[in-house]
Formats: sequence, C-alpha cells, structure tokens
Amino acid sequence: MNQNSWIMALALILLTAIVSPAVHGQTATHEDSAEGLRLFRTNCAGCHRWHGGGGGGYGGDALSLRRTKLDRAQIIEVIGCGRPGTGMPFHLRDAYNDGKCYGLSATDVSNGMVREAKNFLRPNEIEIIADYVIANVKGRGEPSFAECQAFFGTGSRACNVYKSQQTAGQ
Amino acid sequence: MSDRKIRLLGCCMAALVSGLVINAAGARADDNTMTQERLLNADQEDGNWILHHKDYSAHRFSNLNQINADSVKNLKVAWTVQLGGLEGGGIWTHGGLEGTPIAENGFLYVTDGWGSVYKIDAHHGEGVMLWKMDPKTDHDWAGAVACCGVDNRGVALWGDMVISHSLDGRLIATDKNTGKIAWQRQVANPDKGEVITGAPLVVKNMAITGVAGAEYGIRGWVAATDLTTHKEVWRTYTIPGKGEPGSETWKDDHEARATGGGSTWVTGSYDPKSDTIFWGVGNPGPDWDSQYRPGDNLYTDSTIALDANSGKIKWHFQHTPNDPYDYDSVAENVLVDLNGPNGTQKLDLEADRNGVGYAVDRDSGKFLWAVPFVKKLTWTKGVDPETGRPLEYDASKPVQNYAVTPSRDDKVTMVCPGNMGGKNWPPTAYNPTLHLWYIPVIESCNRITNEPTKPGSFKAREMFTGGGPSDPVRITGSVTAIDVTTGKEVAKQEAPYPMLGGLLATPTLVFAGQPDGHVMALDAKSLAPLWTFNTGGGVSAPPITFTVDGKQYIALLVGQGGAWDKWFIDGTPDLKRIAPSSTLYVFGL
Ligand code: HEC
Repeated sequence: MNQNSWIMALALILLTAIVSPAVHGQTATHEDSAEGLRLFRTNCAGCHRWHGGGGGGYGGDALSLRRTKLDRAQIIEVIGCGRPGTGMPFHLRDAYNDGKCYGLSATDVSNGMVREAKNFLRPNEIEIIADYVIANVKGRGEPSFAECQAFFGTGSRACNVYKSQQTAGQ
Repeated sequence: MSDRKIRLLGCCMAALVSGLVINAAGARADDNTMTQERLLNADQEDGNWILHHKDYSAHRFSNLNQINADSVKNLKVAWTVQLGGLEGGGIWTHGGLEGTPIAENGFLYVTDGWGSVYKIDAHHGEGVMLWKMDPKTDHDWAGAVACCGVDNRGVALWGDMVISHSLDGRLIATDKNTGKIAWQRQVANPDKGEVITGAPLVVKNMAITGVAGAEYGIRGWVAATDLTTHKEVWRTYTIPGKGEPGSETWKDDHEARATGGGSTWVTGSYDPKSDTIFWGVGNPGPDWDSQYRPGDNLYTDSTIALDANSGKIKWHFQHTPNDPYDYDSVAENVLVDLNGPNGTQKLDLEADRNGVGYAVDRDSGKFLWAVPFVKKLTWTKGVDPETGRPLEYDASKPVQNYAVTPSRDDKVTMVCPGNMGGKNWPPTAYNPTLHLWYIPVIESCNRITNEPTKPGSFKAREMFTGGGPSDPVRITGSVTAIDVTTGKEVAKQEAPYPMLGGLLATPTLVFAGQPDGHVMALDAKSLAPLWTFNTGGGVSAPPITFTVDGKQYIALLVGQGGAWDKWFIDGTPDLKRIAPSSTLYVFGL
C-alpha cells in the first residue's frame, strides 16, 4: 500500500467514527456491515432478538450482547465453539474435531453437551458477525426506533412500538 | 393473440366446460354459494370439504370410500402444484405450510404461511392455479413476534367469498371468482405481540377469529366479525377483566392478568342445537414461572363454551390449573353423540397438550372421563376420576405443586410430555362408526429451565416466558386410538418422528404425515400401516379427501412449517436435513 492509500484509509476510518453516531448509531454502510446484519439476522436474531438484548423464551436464555463484556476474540470463540451446557450453539463445522474448542471432542457433541447450530458458518463470516456485534450491539442501552429501522428498514411496522415508546417518554 | 392469452383462455374454457358438466350432473345451481344451511350439513357433502375440520363437530371424517383398506395400496401421486410463501421475516428464515385445504365442487382453496390464498382447479386430472391472493403481509412486523413459525391454517367459505387471516392480524374476504380482496379488517395487533395463524370459523354470518401470542404476554381473546357489516359483534377475553368472574383465580398483586396469555389459535367447533361455540385456550404467561401468577389462572389451559350470539362464556373446563409447563389447551373440540341405554350422551372431546384426552358433557361442561394418550407422562401421578383435576391439585394452594413442577426452587427439570405437548395443534380425527378417536401424538420429554420473572419487566414485542425449553432427548411420535364408548386406548402405531401434521379418518383408513416427508395410510381398526409415500419435504399439515367428477382424491400441503426446525430440532437431529418447501400434493387411485 502506498502512502496515499494509507491516508485515504485512515481518513475513511476517522470519517466512519465521526459519521456513525449520527447515522442512527450505525457504523459505515460498507459491504461487511450489511453482510454482518444479514448474517446476524439469519443466525443469531432468533435467540438474541434483533437488538441483541437476548432474553428467555424458546431460544433458551440467550445473554445480552448489548451488555456483554467479551472482546472480539472472545466473541469469535463463543460463536465458533458455542457454550457447552447452555443453549448457545457452535457455528464452526469442525469446532470439535481437533480439540480447539475448550479441549472437547466430537463425542461430547454427540452426547448433547454442546448444541449444534442449524447452519454452520465459515471463519470469515464469524469475524464479520463479531464485527457487527461490536459496532452495532455491544455497549448499547435500550433499543431505539432508529436502531430498529436500521435493522428492519422503513417498509415495515416492526418498529412502531419503539416510536410510540419514544413519544410516550417525551 | 399472445401465447399466454391463449393459455389463459384455455384454462377458463376448461373451467367453464367443467362447470357445465357439474350442472348437467344434477348439482344444485347455488352449490357455489356458501350458506349456513350448507355449513350445518357439511358432513352430507361427501365430495366436498367445506369446513376447516370437515364439519362443525370437528370429526375430520369423510364417508368417501373408493380409497379404502383394500385399494389404498394403489394410491399414487395424481398431481402437484408448487406454492409460494417460502420467504422469511422477523425471526424466521422461512415460511411453512400447516393449512387444511378447503374443497368445493372440484376447486381447492389453500394458503401458505404468510396468508396468500390460492384457488386451484382440480378438474382435468391436474391442478391449475386460477388465482393467488397475496395479502402483502408485513413480514417483519408479524414475523418478529410469531413465537412458532410463519403459519396459516387455512380458509373458510361464505357467500361468494373466501374468508382468511393474515399473520399480521387481518381478517380478509376475497372474491371467490376473481381472487380480488373485497374487504378486510384489522382484528389483532402485532404491536401488542398478537398474530393470527388459525383458520376462521364461519357461524351464522360471523367469522370467528382466534389469536396467538401468549409467549409475548398478550391477553387472549376470541372475536366475532359480522360478514355483512364487517363490524365486530363480540370479543370475549380469555383472561377475565378486573372484578369479572374468574379474576379471583389471579391472586398476585402485580396485575399478572394483564399479560396472562390464553391464546386461541386453533379453530373451534359449533353445536347448532345449543347454539354454542367450543374453543380451546392456551397457556398462561409467563409460561414457566407459575410463581409469578399464583391462582388457577382462568381461562388458560381450558375449553370454553361460548354463546354464539353474545360470546358469553357458558361454562369452562380447565385441564392444568396454574400451569408451569406450557400445556396449552389450544386444541379442536370434537363433538360426539353417543347413544346409550340412558339416552344420548353429548361429548366434548379434547386431546390436551398435557398428554391426557378428556371427555366432558358439552351442555354442562361436567367432567366424564380422562385417558392418558402418551407413553410417558410424569408431570402428574394421574387425573382424579371424579373431578378431572390432576391428583396433586390442591385448591387451597395459590401455586400448584404437581409430581414434577418447574419452579424457582427447582430450576431445571425434565418433564414428560415436553412443552410441545403430547399433542399440539395438529387435529385429531373421529370415526363415528367405529367410535374411535385418533390422536396425532408427540411422544416426548423435554428440559425446562425456569427464569424468575420480575414484576414490571414486561416489554411489548419481547418474549415473556419465564424460562425456556431444551431438548436433550430423542422425540418420537404415534397415532393413538381411543374408544370413546369406554374411554380406553385401543391401539397405538408408533412413528419415528413427532406427529406435526394432523389426521384424516375415512371408513377404513386413517391418513397422517410425518415431518421427514412420509405420508401414510393406517388401518382404521388396528392402525397397521397399509401404504406409505415419501413426499420429499416436511409434512406439518393435515390431509383431506374430496372428489372431482366422482373420483376420490387425497390432498395434503407439504412444506416444513411451525416451530419445530427452529426450537425443537435437537429432539430430532436427523430432521436437520429436511429443506423448506411449499407444495400441494394430490393423490388418487
Ligand atoms: C439457539 C439459540 C442461540 C443462537 C441461534 C445463538 N445464540 Fe448466542 N447465546 C445463546 C444462549 C442461550 C447464550 C447464553 C449462554 C450462557 O448462559 O453462558 C448465548 C451466549 C452468547 C454469547 C456470550 C455472551 C456473554 O456475554 O457471555 C455471545 C457472544 C453470543 N451468544 C453470540 C451469538 C451470535 C453472534 C450468534 C449468531 C451467530 C448467536 N449467539 C446465536 C443462544 C443462542
């Protein structure tokens, strides 16, 4: 990379950082973020909800990703390996083939100790999801109307309740 | 003339000609208009299937007998039609099929999970789609709060209209001939977590609608809409309001009633003699934290009998008071008349999610008998033969302690049947000659984890369940036959997978489908399998039978629907290989 493109990249990162809180608290709309939303939606939102706040119910007691203390590497590990003994499934096809996840083996999986995800993800998809969680979910407070619209778009009434909650609060 | 126009003309000419043939064969000219008279005599229209449960008594029994115990071995696919509605929305990655087709004079009306209605011409030995009505359901609004899949269980007929529901809470009337929406009305509100998955029941110019959403803290109801004025006639809440009868069964001090659940998403039945509508009511909310809502929690987990004109509750019978298991009584009520030495016994039969089949007197709600229909039942030691209550039930206790009770003190428990129940929504069938009642069974246990619910923690459109299930052990299924003259189980045909689709009974056969794609015909008496076919897609819908030009067919929607593949798949890991699909199958000899 030459010097110019370094500067460009730096500028882009800075721009992203400055612009993002204004744009409904979302990071830049580059491809990875859209892909992150898509992957989060199909693989995670069923249990952690669209806002990542989790909660009980049919998906088990999914923890809040908004309040998570985990860093990027730890999030990647949990997505790939799941959490044995809980409802959090593993998403990496060979997670339990070579002991890389908590030193556990395939037999532990077949014993039902670790849940298997409905769809497996590739390592780079897991990274994209982890980045999405860090940029859009981790550290957030109560879900907002704008955040909801960023997730569902503006064509649906799915976010109505956040709008009325906001008005009610004003 | 374009190629397409020619084909269109061809289809319509064919329809016209076949219409003429029907008339020439002597059918009444007004046969294409639905009236109360016809609905009352639905069981007499042998070649048609004009009510969701075939007749107002919910027998799902047809007299048609060309396809019988001898000939069924020759049954094969006559034709198929691909439908739509596979797209996801909200928390769902795909829609599925749970609908019961309606058949009238050789035309079929079926729905997909998002509530699109399809009219299919079944004449000419193949299925020709005449129109599709797409209600443009708000996928994310509804799909984000549909607890258990993108589902629609079918339509009703009235006048020249097809009456249907959409997941996002609408009642829709579609012109039968053109497929155009004539009018629609918002009946349920997804902003409150309410969605509609059940088929409407039409009674006396009213469409009766039930609601889903007990996992989202709704207050359930059954509502009647006048089909002429399009206005609401009555709405009966399944959770009593302050000071109303039954409100004393909510003994907490934090308004648990307001989020008390009690969904009504399975179509009810109707007795014209007493002018009564029978409807099943679902679980209390939060599902697995009964300590949040001390008291019996009426009318959750109950059968309610409603006056058809006013919606007033005449009587109720509760199956699992203060339910800590998610044992809905969202089930069809099967109305059976039994002639005995002491006159006619008028039964209301209900196969409950708690694994027990109940018979009560349908005029008084008085308990008659109960019979467990699952192989393993651990939550109670049994049902009191006098009262119909679980043996451990203690009226003096605000929170019930049954044999196994998920609770704040016993946070992780294995319970049988599991929370999907011994039988879920898939309908039973009843053979009135053999007096056999067939139940599509989920043979299961599952693990319930209690999470204490804090007063004030309820949020609209968020799950409000007080815990959750998981499925560490294998789940299977069966078709189980009960002799209703004795109240005893007489046959059980086991199946490798849970029964997620429901049943059809004919004089000598019972039809069923499995979530791995297999459809089967069982002998009506022994339940021995006589025929099987692999549709190649998951079956989660009930079969029906009908005739076209005198020839008998079996129709069945195929396309993995419901909640199983998302929430319960660990109990049947090999079903992970089943892909979503959306097909109407029609079988003939
Ligand atoms: C079947 C339900 C389910 C699905 C699907 C699911 N999770 Fe989870 N997840 C859980 C549960 C339950 C927990 C809580 C585990 C525990 O108790 O430690 C959890 C925990 C986590 C944690 C740990 C949080 C912490 O602070 O310790 C992370 C991170 C996480 N999930 C991310 C994801 C992501 C990202 C996806 C999508 C790729 C996903 N999960 C899909 C159920 C699910």
